[in-house]
Amino acid sequence: MEQIRSLSQLLEHAKKIGAEKGPKKLSVAMAEDAGLLAAIEEARKAGFAEAILVGNGDKMKAAADQAGVDLSDYELIDERDEPAMGIAAVTQVSSKKADIYMKGQIHTNNFLRAMLNKECGLRRGKNTISHCYFHSVEGFDRVFFIADAAFNMYPDLAAKADITQNTVGLARAFGVAEPKVAVLAAVEVVNPDMPATLEAAALTQMNRRGQIKNCIVDGPFALDNAVSEESARTKGIVSPVAGKADIFIVPNIDSGNMLAKAIVYFSKNETAGLILGASAPIVLTSRADSTRSKLLSIAAAVALSDFQK
Amino acid sequence: MTADVRGSSRPAGEGLDFLIAESKKGRPMTLALACPYGDDALGAACRAQREGVARAVLIGDAARIRSTAERDGCDITGITLVDEPDDDRAVEASVRMVSSGEADFLMKGLVKTSTLLKAVLDKEWGLRTGSLLSHLFLFEVAVLGGRVIGVSDGGMNTYPDLGAKVKIIENAVACFHRIGTPQPKIAALAAVEAVNPDMKATLEAAALAKMNERGQIKGCLVDGPLALDNAVSEEAARIKGISSPVAGSADMLLVPDIESGNFVGKVLMYMTGGKGAGVILGARKPIVLTSRFDSVETKLLSISLGAVVARG
Repeated sequence: MEQIRSLSQLLEHAKKIGAEKGPKKLSVAMAEDAGLLAAIEEARKAGFAEAILVGNGDKMKAAADQAGVDLSDYELIDERDEPAMGIAAVTQVSSKKADIYMKGQIHTNNFLRAMLNKECGLRRGKNTISHCYFHSVEGFDRVFFIADAAFNMYPDLAAKADITQNTVGLARAFGVAEPKVAVLAAVEVVNPDMPATLEAAALTQMNRRGQIKNCIVDGPFALDNAVSEESARTKGIVSPVAGKADIFIVPNIDSGNMLAKAIVYFSKNETAGLILGASAPIVLTSRADSTRSKLLSIAAAVALSDFQK
Repeated sequence: MTADVRGSSRPAGEGLDFLIAESKKGRPMTLALACPYGDDALGAACRAQREGVARAVLIGDAARIRSTAERDGCDITGITLVDEPDDDRAVEASVRMVSSGEADFLMKGLVKTSTLLKAVLDKEWGLRTGSLLSHLFLFEVAVLGGRVIGVSDGGMNTYPDLGAKVKIIENAVACFHRIGTPQPKIAALAAVEAVNPDMKATLEAAALAKMNERGQIKGCLVDGPLALDNAVSEEAARIKGISSPVAGSADMLLVPDIESGNFVGKVLMYMTGGKGAGVILGARKPIVLTSRFDSVETKLLSISLGAVVARG
C-alpha cells in the first residue's frame, strides 16, 4: 500500500477499507456522550465503521437525540452498571463480534480494568499496553508517531522495547514498510548521567540483534537531528534514521507529553491518538478532543485492525 | 507594584522584535565575544554592532579572527580586537573584561561551553553570584499570534531539584522584569494538571506554587502542576475546569527536566519555523550562547536580549 503521509490521507485509506472490505465494528463502553456519538456517526456515514453501543439505554437515547443520531442504525446493549458496561463492551471484541474497543463516558479505570480482565479482556500475554499520538505537521512529508506520552509513566527498558514494537505496528499499518525509529533524549551522545541516552543505545542494539523487528531503531537523538537532515549533517551524525524519523520514542510521560502538546499547540498540525499492544486496537479519546480528532482515532483503529487481519 | 493580571506590560502579539528596539535605547552595551572563529557568532556580533544593538569586542587569535571575517564576509572595521591566540586565555580575558566592567555581557564563539562556564564560575575573576546558572529561551509563537513564551531550563540544568527550580524561576523572573513584564506568569509543567504522588514533577510544581503564595518566590505568579495545553491555551484550561491566573496565559514554562525542555524548545525551533532568543542567566552579567543551527535572526535577538538584560 501507499504510505499515508497526512491524516487526511488516513481518512481516505479508512474509507477505502470500508468500501472494499466492509466497515469495522466498534464496541463502545458507555456510549452516552453526544460528541462521541457524533464522531461515530461520521465514521459510519463515511463507510468505515459500525458500532455496538453499550450503556444506559435512556441516556444513550438522550445523547443520540442531542447529536441528531438515529440509534436504529446501531446495535444496542442496555446495561446500567458501569463496570459491567466495560465487561460487556470488551467481551464483544474478545469474542470477535467487534473489531475495536472504544471508550465512551466510562471512567478510564473501569474501561481499562475490563480490557485487562483475564477471561474476557484483550491482553496479549505480558505485552505492554501503550499509547501513541500521531501528528501531521505542516512542512513535513510524513506522519510522526510519538510514544509513550500518555499511558506508561516511567517505562523501563523492557517496556520501551514493547512500546517501540507496538508503535512500529501502527506505523506499518499506515504503510510505512520499515519505520525509522528515533529514541529521543536531550542530546545525541551517550552520557552516563542521562539514563535516557543509555536506554536509547540499548534499544538500538536490541533492534540490531533482532529483538525489535520490522524497523530501524537509532538513538540517542535530540529532536532536531531526528527531524532535520541539515541538523544531523552539521553534527556529523551518520544514520539512516537521522533527519528521517517516523517514530519518536520518548524517555517518559513528562517529556513525551510536553513534546506532543508542544506540537499540538505551537505548530500547524492535526493530531489523534490510539492505544496499542492489546489483541485489538483501542480508541480512548477525551471529551475535550474535537470530533475530527475522534474520527481520526477511529480511522487509525480501522487501518490497524485491517493491517492485523 | 500592583499585580498586573495580564502579566505583560507590552501589547500582545508584538513578538520579540521589541528586544531589538529596546537594546538600542541609551548607551550601547558592549559584548565580549570569546574565540569568534565560526558558528556564525562573528557574523551575528558584527551585525549587532552595525545595527546599533550592541558594541562588540572580539577576543582571540587575531589572525584567525581576520580570516574568519574574510571567509564569512563580515566587516570588522571599527570593532575592537584583542589578540590572544590561546583559547583558555582568550576565554579568561573575555570573562575578566566583563567582571571588570569593561564589557557588559559575554558571548561564546567557537570554544567548548564547558571551558567558558568554568571561567564564568572562577572564584577570583569570574561572574558567579552564588545563584545557579540557568538557560532561558524566549520564543515567538506564530500560531499564537506572535505571543512570547519562555522555556527554562531546556539547555543547562539536567535534572534540577526543588531548590534548583526555585533559582531557575528567580533567574527568569529577573529577566522578565528587565524586558518589561513586571509580574510574569510561570507555569510549572508536568504531564498532567493534577497532583499525583507517583509523578515527582507534579509534587514539585505544587510546592513551587505554594512557595510563591508564601512569598518565597517573588515578583511573579507561579501555578502548577499544569500540562502544556492548559498552560498556554485558555480554552484547554476552561474545558478542564482549571481556574488560575496563570492557566492559558503563561509567560514562561518551567519544565521538569532537560529532556522535556529540550523537546518543547526544539518543536518551537525546528517544527514551527519559529524564532527565539536565548540567554544564560544567574551570573553577574548575561551570557549569550548561540548554536550554529540558530538562524541569523535568532542570533541577533539573543544578543539584543543579552544587551537588554545587561543594561538592567
